[in-house]
Amino acid sequence: MKLPLGWLREFVTVDADVDAIARRLTAAGVEVENLERVNAGFSDVVIARVLDVQRHPNADRLSLCEVDAGPLGRFSVVCGAPNVRSGMTAAYARVGARLRAGVHGAGGAATVEQAPPLQAAVIRGVKSDGMLCSERELGLSDEHQGILELDAGEPGSDLATALHLDDVVLDIAITPNRGDCLSVLGLAREIAALFGVKLKPPPITPLVTDNHRGEAVAVAVEIEAPDLCPRYAALPMEGVKIGPSPIWLRRRLELAGMRAVSNVVDATNYVMLELGQPLHAFDFTKLAGGRIVVRRAGNDRAMTTLDGLERALIADDLVIADADKPVALAGVMGGGNSEVGGETGTILLESAYFEPMTVARTARRLGLRSEASYRFERGIDPTGQVRALHRVASIITRISGGRAAGPIIDVEARPPELREITLEPDAITKILGVRIPRAEISRRLKSLGAGVRSERQRLIVTAPPFRPDLTEPADLAEEVARLKGLDEIPAAVPERPSAGPAVEDSSRVFARVSREVMLGCGLTEIKSIAFIAPADNQAYPGIGTGQTICVTNPLSAELSEMRRSLVPGLIAAMRFNLNREAAAFHAFEIGRVFMTNGDGSAPESERIAGISYGEYALAAIGRPGVTADFFTIKGIAETYLRSLPGAPRADFVPPAAGELAFLHPGKSAHIRIDGRRLGYVGELHPGEAMHLGLGGPCGVFEFDLTMLLAFGSSERRAIELPPRFPAVRRDLALVVDRGLAADDVLRAISEMKLNLLESVRLFDVYEGGSIPPDKKSVGIACLYRARDRTLTDGEVNRAHADLIERARARLGAELRQ
Amino acid sequence: MKDQLEQIRSRALAELADDAAEAAIENVRVRVLGRSGELTEIMRRMREVPPEERPAIGQLVNQIKAELEARIEVLQGRLREAALERELAAARLDVTLPGAHLPRGRLHPVTQTIEEMLHIFRAMGFEIAATRDVEDDFHNFAALNFPPDHPAREMQDTFFIGGGLLLRTHTSNGQIRVMEARRPPLAVVCPGNCYRRDELSVRASPMFSQIEGFMVDRAGKITMAHLKGVLTEFLRAFFGAGTAVRFRASFFPFTEPSAEVDISCLLCAGKGCRVCKQSGWTEILGSGMIHPNVFRAVGYDPAEFQGFAFGLGVERTALLKLGVEDMRLFFENDLRFLNQFQATVERLA
Repeated sequence: MKLPLGWLREFVTVDADVDAIARRLTAAGVEVENLERVNAGFSDVVIARVLDVQRHPNADRLSLCEVDAGPLGRFSVVCGAPNVRSGMTAAYARVGARLRAGVHGAGGAATVEQAPPLQAAVIRGVKSDGMLCSERELGLSDEHQGILELDAGEPGSDLATALHLDDVVLDIAITPNRGDCLSVLGLAREIAALFGVKLKPPPITPLVTDNHRGEAVAVAVEIEAPDLCPRYAALPMEGVKIGPSPIWLRRRLELAGMRAVSNVVDATNYVMLELGQPLHAFDFTKLAGGRIVVRRAGNDRAMTTLDGLERALIADDLVIADADKPVALAGVMGGGNSEVGGETGTILLESAYFEPMTVARTARRLGLRSEASYRFERGIDPTGQVRALHRVASIITRISGGRAAGPIIDVEARPPELREITLEPDAITKILGVRIPRAEISRRLKSLGAGVRSERQRLIVTAPPFRPDLTEPADLAEEVARLKGLDEIPAAVPERPSAGPAVEDSSRVFARVSREVMLGCGLTEIKSIAFIAPADNQAYPGIGTGQTICVTNPLSAELSEMRRSLVPGLIAAMRFNLNREAAAFHAFEIGRVFMTNGDGSAPESERIAGISYGEYALAAIGRPGVTADFFTIKGIAETYLRSLPGAPRADFVPPAAGELAFLHPGKSAHIRIDGRRLGYVGELHPGEAMHLGLGGPCGVFEFDLTMLLAFGSSERRAIELPPRFPAVRRDLALVVDRGLAADDVLRAISEMKLNLLESVRLFDVYEGGSIPPDKKSVGIACLYRARDRTLTDGEVNRAHADLIERARARLGAELRQ
Repeated sequence: MKDQLEQIRSRALAELADDAAEAAIENVRVRVLGRSGELTEIMRRMREVPPEERPAIGQLVNQIKAELEARIEVLQGRLREAALERELAAARLDVTLPGAHLPRGRLHPVTQTIEEMLHIFRAMGFEIAATRDVEDDFHNFAALNFPPDHPAREMQDTFFIGGGLLLRTHTSNGQIRVMEARRPPLAVVCPGNCYRRDELSVRASPMFSQIEGFMVDRAGKITMAHLKGVLTEFLRAFFGAGTAVRFRASFFPFTEPSAEVDISCLLCAGKGCRVCKQSGWTEILGSGMIHPNVFRAVGYDPAEFQGFAFGLGVERTALLKLGVEDMRLFFENDLRFLNQFQATVERLA
């Protein structure tokens, strides 16, 4: 809402400058976003009355005028305008005045180029003391056919002031709950309440009726939809002459951000801006049957609005109809079929209350937002209809000569309810945490227009009708707080309310630990957006078999699905960096992925994923470093698992045909814990790597963090004391089938449960040489230890021989010679 | 025999001169002290000595043996030292060459900001709860007192994913979820991702993080004054002790009274600049006393319970603190940006 300060000052007198007003409004929740200082762009132009007009002795087209500038005196001016006549009120630029230079535009920009001071001139032998000005010379419009004629004004008074040309416009953001502030009067009320001064509402002047005809124009108003329109008031006016509005009115509308149209329409807009009551003017002669019916659109399927567009209607849209057809979309926009035009002489003014919901729905559905709908949607004063008609009628009478052609027709189908709020003695103190005296509460609420009475210790507050947002004590607490100023509420630290120590959700702790491990492994954290292209979801289906979630209203096709996996985001980040000087990329992300199961449960779960490409670690001058491949990424995955509480033991299982298709079929694995697939690791498929333009292997892994958490949060194992007796190591090299996984060899030995065997560890795998082509040699370190004594050579030898014998039998292994 | 011993001794000592070479020393050691060396020979011939002289001769042999051994030890020590000196002089590295680096990851600045904020909230007694991104209308809107026709509920602003589900537009659903499950007293913060239908741009992202916080207790125990106290302390802890904090009345459907919170502009320290539009203040978060209708929605009696809530955008706050203006930096993951941040969860300074 744009609020010209000059307009505001008509309703409230505040001893404060505009910056102070803006600060106070902002602090009170009526945020002033901008202050725009506007000025006339001219100076020393005053209002003057033309007393006498004579023909210039030496020029047919020029006149010699005598003008009265009140206390400034009388002056003789040469004027070339055809419309100059004695008795008119005009704009007189005195000698020394500064007018606009160059091309003239409408409106008052903040900086204006001025011409040099006006000098007395001799025109065709006659001296001219200044000049009478056209709109263009004043920079008001491009109009320069004649001089500006004013409809009123005190001779000698400053023109810029009289036309509201010097002003400050406050650009105010009104929150959705404060429809009452969408008017100059509403903001004036707010300021009066904030500064503790009196509000001066605009005068309500009695209707000027046409006494010559003595016969009222017959109008009938019916409300068929009282649920959507509780009140409808109308006033017929006749003898209206449609034309442009006077400058002051046009100027006010412009400053408030509206465009001037014609005097009648401008007057309705003016009153809307002033009082907050949207008004509409129909050409009365175009209303069939002289009737107004407020009803649902029903079978009417379309109408053309004032902007010339045909609008499809639905049955529940509220329309204003005449005897035959819709003539306006209630509260949104008038119809083209009843529009006021140049020929209009009789009008019907509408001033109604429409329910916010119905206006909002229609306006939104049609994408048609008007100043009127904006106000109706937020709730206008349900009692302000008749007052607004009085106000607009007096302005129309003044600027277009119209007169009321009958009394105001006021149909109130459903009177507004009075809302009473009971305030217990300490209600507001309890909310705000500061004691506020009853008298102050009462005074502040009254300043907003509320009724307040005492009942024993309580206050009974009647909310003003224009404040539908005030319904319970919390609302009143807010009013008191913001009028007093939130600065007046002390800052206090509460006793800690929770009973026990502050806890953190276990999944967050888990994620934090996971992050620490990843950072330690040298991966940098990235964040990617959870929306993804369908092709990426297809290529990287991630862990889990739920159904992909599509966004109903995506921003674009590329962002139309929710990610199933974090890997595409990591790949995108890698590409971004490889395109920008990076030669390697090692990163991870922790985030949510989205899938639905058949039952619609668990649509989101947490993942951790990593990527590793290019040189990874420990390079020095003249010494190559470690470069990412399957084993580095697997090492990271294993380091991660080992770092988790409980260090769950994972199995790495080669994928079956068709599984993990985005990974190298021979260099990838499912990661299983307790038989459940919790993740995968591997090198990107060479085809994919080539497609991405990668020059070497790129490792990725992904874990289901939510499922891992279940293992990670299992109880910590009992602490074992370091052994007191030494271990004895015996190595052996077993020759086994080449296809047998090393892990299977180790497991087979572990499962023998030999009682002196503490652990087995792989230290070498060898193929070729003396080993047959379909075999490989697996080097294993066996550690023997007894808890209660130092083992003798004999004991160890017997145990080791036993192990070798069993391994031969079990694995078909031979001892390497 | 005594003279013979004296002769052996003086000859050996002469050969064990200060500049004796390694080989010469070894030569003496073998000839004199060796298994069949001169001293051993003397001992073997002890029979020839009259018994009463034997102890003196034996003593002398031992004395000479100890003396020579000590001398040899000294000389060999010197030689080892000299050899080490030569070796060290030869093995001099260019110590300015780079070391063999181990990789170290960096924490994303948004994570860092969240952790830093949560660290402060934990210290202030808040617990940290996890909440969901996928939500229904009730928990994201209706329970938070959004009117049925509120614009935020439109397709234009909110992402819908079918089945009556949507992606939460704020972390305020955390309030509802926690209060539905538990009874006061509560002091909880919920961090998480939110989604709004904005294109990724300098100012906005379709996905971003927020931290929602709320404190609820018996009516009158948690007041607007506490809201001010808690948020002022938090903001000073996060932005610095000298930060000025201002509360402005405002409107949110789920709080009443509501307050916008501003801090003194970080760039101009409140003097007024381009970034703060000359106001000296920067909007930082929204807050207020939880609306009675929100309590009703979770089955609390608003006459019995009262509390405050607040929500703040992490990325925006991080941008303010970092003094950069482009939201996209957080989601592009340019290493040249990310590498400028610390590698730890805890802030060091």
